[in-house]
Amino acid sequence: MYQDANGTRSASPNSASTAVQSASCPDGNGTMPSCAGLAVPYVPFQQTGSQKYAQAEALSQGTLFPGLNLPFHLKTEGSTLPSSPMTELQALDFVVLELGTYLDTHPDDTEAFQMFQQYAAMEKAAKAAYESKFGPITRTAAASGSSYQWLNDPWPWNFGQNEVK
Amino acid sequence: MFVYEKKLQFPVKIATPNPKLAAMIISQYGGPDGELGASMRYLSQRYAMPYAEAKGLLTDIGTEELGHMEMVAAVVHQLTRNLTDEQVQNSPAFAPYFVDHTTGIYPTAASGFPWSAGSIQSTGDVIADLTEDLAAEQKARLTYDNILRLSDDPDVNNVIRFLREREIVHFQRFGECLRLCKEKMDARNVYLTNPAFDKQTPQPRS
Repeated sequence: MYQDANGTRSASPNSASTAVQSASCPDGNGTMPSCAGLAVPYVPFQQTGSQKYAQAEALSQGTLFPGLNLPFHLKTEGSTLPSSPMTELQALDFVVLELGTYLDTHPDDTEAFQMFQQYAAMEKAAKAAYESKFGPITRTAAASGSSYQWLNDPWPWNFGQNEVK
Repeated sequence: MFVYEKKLQFPVKIATPNPKLAAMIISQYGGPDGELGASMRYLSQRYAMPYAEAKGLLTDIGTEELGHMEMVAAVVHQLTRNLTDEQVQNSPAFAPYFVDHTTGIYPTAASGFPWSAGSIQSTGDVIADLTEDLAAEQKARLTYDNILRLSDDPDVNNVIRFLREREIVHFQRFGECLRLCKEKMDARNVYLTNPAFDKQTPQPRS
């Protein structure tokens, strides 16, 4: 079963898919050893080349991978995100995090590593652009302003953060 | 070391304060299957791991859980902002928390039991720890399921759905990590030695 960016489930991968699909094993399934030993837990391995969401959809769904998206009560609409420079940065950051965790168990997946490199570069540029406009996200960046702006509102847990920026 | 980023992993913007809901959601901050326990569990277990994949994964997921702790705290903080005495009086579910903590963020279960390291384990055994982590992700997932059953606030549910899905992804990664570790252990019996402790592999009886 595949799921497109709008959360619609269908029997075939959508045209926006970046993945190479194996006809014998749909994206929501993984691989098990041909002769698994007894008395130890097994989770099937996610296959390389899995279908991926675009970054905003990934943040909204909580995963980059449609094959791992198993929502409560099958509510596939994802979460509503505010439209803001912060949310765009969060989406890029999320793809880097998700791919990094994937690479921890798939370190030899060169396609995923290339995507990781691309998104890490995009996230770095987006963060620098955000910080130059709205103030520091890291304390190191606080040193590049004309005065010490680390203490400025909004702090992340305040209601206003996504409203102001 | 850790470096703070002054942003959340996922946006939290709760339009309507709701102390009753806050009294339930605090469980995912300091309850038995909450994010504080998750981060402490993984960040403690990683030291005994003999394999790079397990060291990396526990570090990365443990760090992400610190960010989830901050998100849950942000939800509770926003649900309890600008409360009046009257609103607290009219919320018997929140009043016991309020009497001890006012609207400060304190790591406790919804039941009132304070956070306890007794709800986590770090055994120094590769398979036992990673199997605990699989269970931990399921327990956190079902707690988020239960919050979704109890909450009709779309702003809260946005955040809870995201956190719930992260548990499913983490479960998958811990399962894969267990497979990778098992492949490095004795194929005839993975329980023959604990690679984190038994530095010399005993010779099997022929």
